[in-house]
Amino acid sequence: MAELKLDANAFAPIHQEQEIQSISRPSLSYWQDAWIRLKANRRALISLYLIIGLLIFTFLGPVVWQVDPAQQDVDQISQPPFADRTVTLVTEYEPWYGEGAVAGEGLRFVEDPTTQYIRLVWDELPGAAGGYRVYRNLFPIGPERAYGLPLIETEPGKRFFEDRLDLQPTTYYYSIVALDAAGYETESVETISGDVTRVITPSEARGRGLLAEGENAAVGTQFRLATHPLGTDYLGRDMLARLMHGARVSLFIGFFAPLLFVLIGVIYGSIAGFVGGVGDQVLMRFADFVVALPFLLFMILFKVVFAIGPGESGIMPMLLAMVILLWPATARLVRGQILQIREEGYISASRLLGAKTNYLVLRHMIPNTMGVILVTITFAVPSAIFTEAFLSFIGMGVAPPTPSWGSMCNEGIKTMLTTPHELIFPALFISVTVLAFNLLGDGLRDALDARMRGRE
Amino acid sequence: MAEPILSVNDLAVEFDTYGGTVQAVRGVSFDVQPGETLAIVGESGCGKSVTVQSIMGLTPMPPGRITSGNALLNGVDILGRKTINGEDIRGDKIGMIFQDPMTSLNPTMNIGSQIAETLIVHRGYSKKQAFARAVELLDMSKIPEAEKRAKQYPFEFSGGMLQRAMIAMAIACEPEILIADEPTTALDVTIQAQILDLLNDLQRENGMSIILITHDLGVVARMAQEVLVMYAGQVVERGSVDDIFYRPGHPYNLGLHAAMPTNDPEAESRLTPIDGSPPDLFHPPAGCGYCARCPYSMQVCIDTPPPTYTLSEGHEAACWLHHESNTQVVPEIHHAGEAVND
Amino acid sequence: MGRYAVKRLIQGVITVWFIATATFFAMHAVPGDPLSGDKALTEKIRANLEAKYGLDQPLMTQYAIYLGNIAQGDFGISFTQENREVNDIIREHFPVSATLGILAIVFAGLGGVLWGALTAIYRNRLPDTIIMFLVILGISVPSFVIAALGQLSLVNINEWTGVSILPVGGWGTVWHMIVPSMVLGLGTMAYLTRLMRSSMLEIINSDFVRTAKSKGVPPTQIFTRHQLRNAILPVITVLGPSIATITTGGFVVEIIFAIPGLGRYFVQAVQQLDYTVIMGTTVFYGAFLVFMVILVDLIYGLIDPRVRLE
Repeated sequence: MAELKLDANAFAPIHQEQEIQSISRPSLSYWQDAWIRLKANRRALISLYLIIGLLIFTFLGPVVWQVDPAQQDVDQISQPPFADRTVTLVTEYEPWYGEGAVAGEGLRFVEDPTTQYIRLVWDELPGAAGGYRVYRNLFPIGPERAYGLPLIETEPGKRFFEDRLDLQPTTYYYSIVALDAAGYETESVETISGDVTRVITPSEARGRGLLAEGENAAVGTQFRLATHPLGTDYLGRDMLARLMHGARVSLFIGFFAPLLFVLIGVIYGSIAGFVGGVGDQVLMRFADFVVALPFLLFMILFKVVFAIGPGESGIMPMLLAMVILLWPATARLVRGQILQIREEGYISASRLLGAKTNYLVLRHMIPNTMGVILVTITFAVPSAIFTEAFLSFIGMGVAPPTPSWGSMCNEGIKTMLTTPHELIFPALFISVTVLAFNLLGDGLRDALDARMRGRE
Repeated sequence: MAEPILSVNDLAVEFDTYGGTVQAVRGVSFDVQPGETLAIVGESGCGKSVTVQSIMGLTPMPPGRITSGNALLNGVDILGRKTINGEDIRGDKIGMIFQDPMTSLNPTMNIGSQIAETLIVHRGYSKKQAFARAVELLDMSKIPEAEKRAKQYPFEFSGGMLQRAMIAMAIACEPEILIADEPTTALDVTIQAQILDLLNDLQRENGMSIILITHDLGVVARMAQEVLVMYAGQVVERGSVDDIFYRPGHPYNLGLHAAMPTNDPEAESRLTPIDGSPPDLFHPPAGCGYCARCPYSMQVCIDTPPPTYTLSEGHEAACWLHHESNTQVVPEIHHAGEAVND
Repeated sequence: MGRYAVKRLIQGVITVWFIATATFFAMHAVPGDPLSGDKALTEKIRANLEAKYGLDQPLMTQYAIYLGNIAQGDFGISFTQENREVNDIIREHFPVSATLGILAIVFAGLGGVLWGALTAIYRNRLPDTIIMFLVILGISVPSFVIAALGQLSLVNINEWTGVSILPVGGWGTVWHMIVPSMVLGLGTMAYLTRLMRSSMLEIINSDFVRTAKSKGVPPTQIFTRHQLRNAILPVITVLGPSIATITTGGFVVEIIFAIPGLGRYFVQAVQQLDYTVIMGTTVFYGAFLVFMVILVDLIYGLIDPRVRLE
C-alpha cells in the first residue's frame, strides 16, 4: 500500500479523558420523541391543522356569520352557491282566464316565464277527445317519456293553463299530452322549455325589507337578495349556518361520547386488571355480553327507550346510548395493558426499590397506557361522528329541526339529482373530519408505538 | 493453501434508515476453504450478519444497498444473483440456519413439508419422495420418531428440536457451504453443545464448509479452523484459531480475551469489560473504529484508518501498533516476526 | 376442537339469552302503554294480546313468558299488521338481507386480501400510494354517501348509454344485487385492506420468510405458501365482527336502493313502535351475529394449526 506521511507526533498516546467522539443522536423522552415523529408525519400534521380549523369554524363561525340556521328564505329555495341573487320587481298578481291572443303556433308562453306565474296556451292537438294533461319537468323529456310532475287535466276546449305551483328560478320543461275519449294518454304530445326569471311584487319586496314602507319603485327595478355563500336547502335555510350548527352536534358527540366511554372503559378495565382472579373473570364476561349486543340495532332501540319529547334535539340520548354500548372495547384493551405491564420487569424492579401501589400506578401504569388510550380516543372520534351521521341519516338520530351533518345528508339525498350541493356539503364535512381524525390517529399510533422506534 | 471455495472481497453495505444512512459493512474481505469452518466473531451490530446475508441476497433492498465488493463462489461472483450456471445458489449451493429457530419456521406448515419444499424446488422431487427424504434428514439430525415429528407443526417443537429441523432443512440439498448465523445463541447451554456436535458430525460426513457467526468465543474454539474478528463493520483481525486465541494482534481481540471467563485457577478471577460502546455507524469515525475504546490509542488512530499488517502466514491485523514508527510497547500484542510462544 | 366447538356454542346460547334479556327490559322501559296510542285496537285484539303476553301480569311473569316463547322460536305477532307473525316477516325479509350481506362480505374479504397484499408488496411505491389513498377515502366517506353516489352513477351510466344496464333500485335478479352489495362492502373492504397490509408487512419482514428465501423458494411460492396464508389469519379473526357491521350497515343500502330487507323493515317498525317486531328482529339479528362470530372462529381453527390442536 502507498506509504502514508506520518508526522512525529502521530504515535503519541492519547489520554483517555480526551473527547474522541460524541454520540451524534440526542436522547429524548417518550413524549418528545413522539412529538418529533408526529411533526415529521406530514399527513398527520395537516390533519391536526384541519381539525383545529374545524374547531374554529364551529365555535367562531357563528360569531362571524350570524344567520339563524332555522330562518327560511322563501325566495331562495335549494339555491346552489354563487347563484344569481337578482330579483326583478313586477306588478301585483292579477287573475288570468286565458284572455289575450298570443302570436305563434303550438305550445307557447303567454309572457316570459317568471316565478310569479307561467302562462301557457296551445293549439288543438290531434286526437284530444278527452282534453289535455299538462306536465312540468326539471329535465328534458327523454325517449323514456318521463314528463315529470302532472299539473292539471283540462277540457278539450280549454287550451290554456297558468302554473303558479312553487315556481323556482330554473329551467322548466312543460309537456301537454292529448287524452283520448276514455281519458288515456295518446302519442300526441307537445313540449316547450323556458328559463324562469325570479320576480317579486312590491308588497313582497316591502315584506323582505327591500323596499321601505310607502316607497315605490318602477316595475323592472332589480334588487339583490340575501347572500348564502354555500347556498340554501330545500326549505330555503342557509347552508353555511346549518353546517356550523350541525358541526356542533357532530363534534359534541364526536368528542364527548369517546371521552366518556373511554373514561368508563379505563376505570372498568383497570379495576378488572388490578382485581384479577374471579372478579376479573366476572367483570370481563359482562363486558363480553355488552360487546355482543348488535350495536346499531341497540342504538335505535335506545332511541325508542329514551323517547324524545317535542322540542328536544335527541343529542343526549344518543350520547348516553353510545356510552352504554361502547365502553367494553376500551375496558378490554386497558385490562390487557394493565395485566401486561404488571408482569414487566421494571414494575418488579420498582417494587423491589420500595415503590408503593399508588406510585406504581401514577408513575408506571398510567404513563405506559396513555399512548394506547390516546390512540383509542383518536380513532373513536371519527367512528362516533360516523355513528351520529348514520343514525341521523336514517332518521333515528337528532330530531329536526336541529341540524346535524347526518340529517342534512338525509335531506340532501332527496334532491340529489337536481341540487347536489345540499348533499355534497354535509357529506364533505363528515368525510374530511373523519379523514382528518383517522390520519391523525394513524400518525399518533406510529408516533407512540414503542415497537416502531428505531425503525424507519 | 488450497483454492478457496468462497472468496469475499471488499464488501460494503449501507442501509437507509429513519435516522440516516448506516454504513453497516465497510470493506470486508475473507476466504472460506473447502471442508473447513470459518468463524466470524464480533459484538452485536458489528456487521457479521449483514455480511453473510448480503452474500445470500437476503438483505432487503431497499433500504439496503451493496456499494462495493464481490463474492466469488468457485470463482463466479454471486452478489445480486440467484443462480450460477443454471444452478440455484440459495438452498442448493449454500444453506443457511438462523439465530432464533422459534420464529424462523413457518407456523402454519408442518416441519416435514418445510424441509421437503427445498427438495421439490431444487431437486424436482415429487411431494411424496421429498417428504420421505425429509423424514430421513430429520433422522440424520437426530430427531427421535422422525416419521411422527415430520407431521407436526413448529409450535409443537422445542427450541433445540427446531434448530435440528432447521439444520436438516439447510443441508437437504447437500450444499457446499452452510452459513450458521448464531445458531446456538437462543438455545440452552446443554442444547448448544448438542447442536454444535451435530454440525461437526454433518461437516465430517458431507465435507461442506461452514461459516459460523457467533459472539461466543467458546463456540469458536470448539468449531472453527479460521477466525475473522469484526468490529464496527470492518475486519480488525484474521487468523487461525490458535493465532486468535494465543497470539492476538489487535487490542480489540485482546479486550475480548480479558472479558472471557477461563477455567485457569491462577488467572485473575475478575473479568474486565471493554469500556464504552461501539461507534455510531451513521457517522463512522474517520480513523480506527476502535480508537475511542482502545487503551493504547494514539494520535494517528483518530483520523487515519490503520492498514492491514501481515503478522505471519494467514494472520493479519489492522492496527497502528504494528507500524514500524510505533514506540509504544504492549506486551500482550503479538507482532510480526515474534516467536510463537504458546 | 370438538370440545372447543361445544364450549363456544354454549357461550353463544348464553350470549343470546343476554341479548334477549337486554332487549326485553329495554323495551319495557319505553314510556307509555304499547297497546294504547293512536293505533286503534279493538277490545278483542287487545284482550287477546294481553292474554298472550301476560301484559296484565307482573314484569317477571311477562319475562318468563317472553323467554319461553323465544326458546320455542316464537317471536309473536306484529302489533301493526294484523295477523302477521314476526316469524313470517323474518322469513320473508331476512333472506334478502342475508344475500346482500353475504355478497358484500365476500366482496369485502376478497378485495381486502387482494389489495392489502398488493399494497404491502408494492410498499411506498405508486400502486401502494394510489390504493391506500382510495382506502382512506373508503374509510372516511359515510356509507350513505357511497350508496347515494353509487346510485347517482348508475343513473348517469344508464342515461348515458341509453339502456338500463343495471337497475337503480329494487330487488329480484342478480343484477339488482351487484351495486348495492359492492356499496355495502366497500367500507369493510377498505378496513380489511389496511389490516391485511399491516399484517402482510409484518410477515414480509418475518424470520420464516427469510428462511424460505434462504431455501431458494421462488417468490410466487413464498407469496402463496408462506406469506399469504399467515398474513390472512388476522383478517379472518375480524371477519366475524365485520359481518355484524355489514349486516346492520345494510339498513342504509336497503333504504336507498329500495331493497325489501329486514333492516329497512326494522327501521319502519321502530317508526311505528311495533313492539314485537322490534324485539323479535333485535333478538334474531343478535343471535345470527353471535353464531356467525362463532362460525368464523371455528373456521379460523381449521386454518391455524395452533388453535386446531389445542
